[in-house]
Amino acid sequence: MLLRVCHLYPDLLNLYGDRGNVLAFLARCRWRGIPAIVHRVQKGEQVNFQEMDFLFLGGGSDREQNLMTKDLMRRADALREAIEGGLVVLAICGGYQLLGHYYRTREGQIIPGLGLLDLFTVAGPRRLIGNIAVEIELDGKSWRITGFENHAGRTYLGQIAPLGRVLAGHGNNGEDGLEGARYKNVFCSYLHGPLLPKNPPLTDYLIQAALKRRGLPFSLEPLDDRLETAANQVMLRRLGVG
Amino acid sequence: MRGIKKAGAKILLFFAVLLGKATVWLSRLLAKGKGSSLPGLVALRIYPDVLKALAGQVRRGTIMVTGTNGKTTTNNMIARIASGAGCAVVANREGANLITGVTTAFIKKATLFGKVSCDYACLEVDEASFPAVCAHARPDIVVITNFFRDQLDRYGELDSTIKFIRSALEKLPSAKLVLNADDPLVAQLKAPGREGAAVFYGFGERVRRPAGAGREVKEARFCPFCGFSLHYQYYQYGQLGNYRCTHCSFRRPKADVEGVRIQVEEGSSCLALFPGGKITLHLPVGGLYNLYNALAAFAAGLLIKAEPQEMSMLLQDYAPATGRMERYHYLGKPALLNLVKNPAGFNESLTVLLEAKNQLDVLIAINDNAADGRDISWLWDVDFEVLEDRHRLINFFVCTGQRAEEMGVRLKYAGVPLDKIVVEPRLKAAVDRVLCGPGQSAYLLATYTALWPVEKILAGRCQKERTHAAARMPSVP
Repeated sequence: MLLRVCHLYPDLLNLYGDRGNVLAFLARCRWRGIPAIVHRVQKGEQVNFQEMDFLFLGGGSDREQNLMTKDLMRRADALREAIEGGLVVLAICGGYQLLGHYYRTREGQIIPGLGLLDLFTVAGPRRLIGNIAVEIELDGKSWRITGFENHAGRTYLGQIAPLGRVLAGHGNNGEDGLEGARYKNVFCSYLHGPLLPKNPPLTDYLIQAALKRRGLPFSLEPLDDRLETAANQVMLRRLGVG
Repeated sequence: MRGIKKAGAKILLFFAVLLGKATVWLSRLLAKGKGSSLPGLVALRIYPDVLKALAGQVRRGTIMVTGTNGKTTTNNMIARIASGAGCAVVANREGANLITGVTTAFIKKATLFGKVSCDYACLEVDEASFPAVCAHARPDIVVITNFFRDQLDRYGELDSTIKFIRSALEKLPSAKLVLNADDPLVAQLKAPGREGAAVFYGFGERVRRPAGAGREVKEARFCPFCGFSLHYQYYQYGQLGNYRCTHCSFRRPKADVEGVRIQVEEGSSCLALFPGGKITLHLPVGGLYNLYNALAAFAAGLLIKAEPQEMSMLLQDYAPATGRMERYHYLGKPALLNLVKNPAGFNESLTVLLEAKNQLDVLIAINDNAADGRDISWLWDVDFEVLEDRHRLINFFVCTGQRAEEMGVRLKYAGVPLDKIVVEPRLKAAVDRVLCGPGQSAYLLATYTALWPVEKILAGRCQKERTHAAARMPSVP
């Protein structure tokens, strides 16, 4: 048993402490004795998505995102196949937008996305910035996750479920009260800050999903999460939803 | 008509300076902060051209320092060099670097009738405010230290910050630039065909250091001109180092002021080679970044024709500003206070910490007010992972400030054992905890708005050490 974590374009998509998500996934495997390794896949390098257990796609600046989009387009079919087969994916900010149909800039230019998820993004007049709390449901249990959002894009979902409902903050577009997107084992969110270390129930859910996909025993022993819970509580209280 | 307009401007200037000065006195009287921005704000409200009117009177030149890290230290060093050369200087020494802070510096120096008698203005200017400040006070020399990721929610992204500065520089074709050759993001700013020459400074060899955080923070892996990857012969810290593009002709420019024989323990020193000579620069404070600041100040000093020998002596007695490696003593236990505000600076602080040869107690204070950056996700770009197998000499990390808990989470995921992570959000209790800890010295790191309160508590508990005495002492960590 070995979980393979794929960090796509770690040098290009590395805004806002994104690597914290990869660190958290690995740490929570390690603390339970589940062997896990990370593959840092750069532009132009080979990767077989089927062999991967967890794929992380972060956000970058506009310049960096353009450099990477072309490279990812070539991999779209392979990625689609892996996603349909249950590959666990976490995509944040720019990575999230990229999985949709397109991104429309302020000037009206359409930048095509991979079209893997039924959603699209439109650049708004000002950035949506601030701390955010979202209620999500995992295996029928509801959790309050916290993070920080900073995005100009407004994302609208088609026939696809959101990750959760905004308790405080803006979310996908600041209008419909929805945050992120969820399809099979793909999780998308505007919460960086980063998301996984601060919200262990979500991290553990992703680890379990990865284990299940391989037909491995997936019950996880509980960890001491007092620090994480305290950090989460501080933010929920501050946002008035604690 | 013109006469009336002129008289009107004079009256406005008078009231702007008068009320600005009144604000300085009032804020001193009420002890409301240090009064380093509010007077400028008041004066600018009354007379929007007040800065233009005051800055226009500078006799010999205006020197601006911008960039992400080292602005305050570099600017204070330059001001010290200019004063030492017998010049009258206006400077915003306390680090208030928005247009309001710059204006305040002039108001403090002006007579009631708005007369400023000074040879040089030495101004530290916030990256995002640089274009606006330049529109009021035209710089003759612009020093750019480095570009790192900093407080993203305020500025958007690093790329747009650099774009701001580039377009502001295009409007200053005759200004001389002093640029860090080792930072590709800075070095790219020398546009071909500029009238004003660029002076580059940098280190001509790799600094050998026992420990090193910051292997992960590399802002510029790709060429700013063609997008191909940059090849590095070596890194100093962050993306600073000796680089060249694998595709086009962009590469680290040859430094006009080049530091060699670098030494960063027990204070710091290097041999500076410059056109026409060489001289050793000693600093009472450690850290490679301080040596970078000194080299920048030295290069700017050469441009205003300061004597190298004189500059070397002035730098040797340089006293750090608040929170720039300030040294205190609590019952004989040395305590060092340092500002942290972005991954590159934090990594440098960690490196100094890891060079310790005795037991340490560490405090990390993280606030998330506007001046700190409301988004603290940058903590995940700091290379705390270096602590995983090197925390032996550190007794504990007291995490404090508004985001104490989250700092604790960060250390936990970096591999610091839980029993070494103490979360104490109250600053006073946290400072007492490190001062009374079992270590032989204490090391305190704080973000901007946590720095002043921590300093105040420290100052109440401790004796502050005079810097030139520190130069003769072995360095604490």
